[in-house]
Amino acid sequence: MTIRLIFSYFFMVSSAAFAVVTVLGLLRFPDVYTRMHAAAVVLTMSAVLMSIGTAIYVWEFFLSIKIMMIGLFFLFSNPMATHAIARASYKRKIALPKEYEIDAYSEYLGRDSDEHS
Amino acid sequence: MLQKLSAFGFLLIVWFIFAGKITVDILIIGSAASLLVTFFFSDMLFREVHRRLPWYHYLRKLALLLLFVPVFFYEAISAALKVSKHVFEKNPSFNPGIVKVKTELTDITGLTLLANLITLTPGTLTLDYDRNEKSYYIHWIDVETVEEADLKKKIIARFERWVGVIFR
Repeated sequence: MTIRLIFSYFFMVSSAAFAVVTVLGLLRFPDVYTRMHAAAVVLTMSAVLMSIGTAIYVWEFFLSIKIMMIGLFFLFSNPMATHAIARASYKRKIALPKEYEIDAYSEYLGRDSDEHS
Repeated sequence: MLQKLSAFGFLLIVWFIFAGKITVDILIIGSAASLLVTFFFSDMLFREVHRRLPWYHYLRKLALLLLFVPVFFYEAISAALKVSKHVFEKNPSFNPGIVKVKTELTDITGLTLLANLITLTPGTLTLDYDRNEKSYYIHWIDVETVEEADLKKKIIARFERWVGVIFR
């Protein structure tokens, strides 16, 4: 029984550590897209690890499966939201990356990359 | 018909899990709700199979899908550690850029799943998919190379083989 609690505390502490890393990354990274990478860390690692830890902590069949389903929904909904925000902010010229050396996407959109370099 | 039946069964199982116990009244309400959802949206949940395969192929695909989960978590944790290393540097010293990576998948479910897996892994982010040239546009937080083969090996090859076998 105590081994189970130790496992659940281990998962919860590691997810909290990833959450702290995310906040630091959101504050420190330079532009929209790199900040979004930092946010992807919390949404994949932290939420899923926290749900696994909670499911081990309660240890009851239906309740644990319910919590794991919530983690699974995180895994489904997070990449769509991240992708939609990034693509919209590129296509609508809300936050164009100005100082990138390698930018294959502007050629695909037919934009002159010298225009905003 | 099989599509509708499998969608109905799946929704009923999810309903039972979220209700928390199995009784008659939950069965009645749940089957009514699942029937309503199945009637309108069944073609969005499962697709019809175009090509018949022997039954053990599906068993093998299911086993591979279960084996894929620990592989994905290992990759995700190692990539998350790589991103969080950049956070603790004095001046964040990375080289972000958008690269173009070709893929060999053709199945549309596999393509969607691969794009989602690339986005879920911290450090890479799918921006768009070009249908004519069959290539993803991926924002990478630390561009190490622009060579075609190296790019493919470093970003998508670890998932592409799994997805290509499971959704073929």
